[in-house]
Amino acid sequence: MKLGIIKEVFKNVFTKPMTVLFPFEKIEIPERNRGEHSFDIDTCISCGACARICPNLAIEMIDAPQELKKKYPKTYPQIDIGKCCFCALCQDVCPKGSIKLTTNVFLATFDKDDTVRSPMSWNK
Amino acid sequence: MTKIKEHNVNSDFAMNFGPAHPGSGNFAIKVEMRGERVLKATADPGYLHRGFEKMMEYREPMQNAVMSDRVCVLEPLQWNLVHAEAVDYLMGYEIPDRAKHIRVILAELSRIQSHFIWYAVLSLGTGFMTGFNVAIGYRDYILDVLNLITGGRVYPAGYICPGGVRKDFPEKAENKILELLPKIDYMRKFMLKENPAWLARFKDVGILTKREAIKFGATGPVLRGSGVASDVRRDDPYEIYDELEFEIPVMDEGDAYARFNVGMQEIEESMKIITQAIDRIPKGEVKTPNLKPTVKFQQAKGEIYIRNELSRGEGAFYMVATGQKTPYRVKIRGPSFTHMIPIVEHLLTDVDYADVPAIYWSLYQCPADVDR
Ligand code: SF4
Ligand code: SF4
Repeated sequence: MKLGIIKEVFKNVFTKPMTVLFPFEKIEIPERNRGEHSFDIDTCISCGACARICPNLAIEMIDAPQELKKKYPKTYPQIDIGKCCFCALCQDVCPKGSIKLTTNVFLATFDKDDTVRSPMSWNK
Repeated sequence: MTKIKEHNVNSDFAMNFGPAHPGSGNFAIKVEMRGERVLKATADPGYLHRGFEKMMEYREPMQNAVMSDRVCVLEPLQWNLVHAEAVDYLMGYEIPDRAKHIRVILAELSRIQSHFIWYAVLSLGTGFMTGFNVAIGYRDYILDVLNLITGGRVYPAGYICPGGVRKDFPEKAENKILELLPKIDYMRKFMLKENPAWLARFKDVGILTKREAIKFGATGPVLRGSGVASDVRRDDPYEIYDELEFEIPVMDEGDAYARFNVGMQEIEESMKIITQAIDRIPKGEVKTPNLKPTVKFQQAKGEIYIRNELSRGEGAFYMVATGQKTPYRVKIRGPSFTHMIPIVEHLLTDVDYADVPAIYWSLYQCPADVDR
């Protein structure tokens, strides 16, 4: 019993730790990870399916700003990441694949208004 | 109660164990003490009540699948599965074979990581921080694989959804799971090491006899630790469990150590199930044909009570469909409910206060599913 513990201690002295030295080292995030959304306004057909399925009502269909009204005459999804539970139902339901959830998980902000992503903000 | 007051001595007092106590996990127990001795305990549930049953009556099945994760934070995939089975039955979905295998593999992985947490909280409750750290560290390996498959580490967001699973396994997922098994086995042996301090804290503590276990409605490892061989996977098989070979660990002692030991032996059985399921997993579809995120629940009519063996015991969904877009009524049976109210009150009578965390956590509870 006692020898077993000593063996364990020695083994652990020479093995790598379980944790990594973040932010210098990062664990790779799988492609399927449900993180921040990406949105492509040019493929969106304004069907509103994403807004209807969102269980948290995090998506609101809004108009484009006045200066872009000509190019984007319909309504487009504005996503509030603060309300989102990252279920990816919007991604699954979107007929055009305009909304996708990405591997970006660093979403903390200092200002609570920063959580709202307007449909134009992805095209900057 | 009155009796205690009559014989009031100077050292009598009452206090709360939880709900914001680091060792109680969002659940409160009011304990009446005489010195270091607990005379009586009264469970005080409700701190974590989120009203899922009502919320589900206002949401569509896919949205409910996402919400079913939250019923118990520590075993979300298994709750996904019970919910999905209820909707499958009402909608009459035929689940493809591959999806059934994937469901079982993930449910068992979820069971293993939940058992790791059990060991972690037992260690935490009794001051063995090393055990806590190691268990949480090893659980992380499982979470990495769950992230690869479901896209979320803890919350799969309804990965096991009505009609199958939301996505097929990614490439090499099977290999990743098989690579996990030696790590799980190492951790299992670590947890089962006969540690004198561990034995002193858990042996002959919180004894629940066979009769009492049945009387109070215990299920899962708590019931099996008291000598009753009952397991929904064997008694009322679902998915592919009837085609797999595994054993039901049972111990007769009924103390905290027996309950924990049953849980640890279950890890081995779960590993067997995973290996068999991966061996047999067929190719093909993972969803019923034409399944959309907007399930046409208007077509469903009738009611169903469906039960599964979760890590903590028997978890069930009762669902009524009346031809509306959303269920008419949802009732969730959480396995921890009976463990945390009648059983904890029974076991915490006339015990040392130092034994409270050991008994409390040995009942393998999840406050989230008591309060729902
Ligand atoms: S991921 Fe889910 S909660 Fe978030 S915006 Fe999409 S549908 Fe809504
Ligand atoms: S993002 Fe997709 S689902 Fe949402 S409105 Fe555009 S096309 Fe429709």
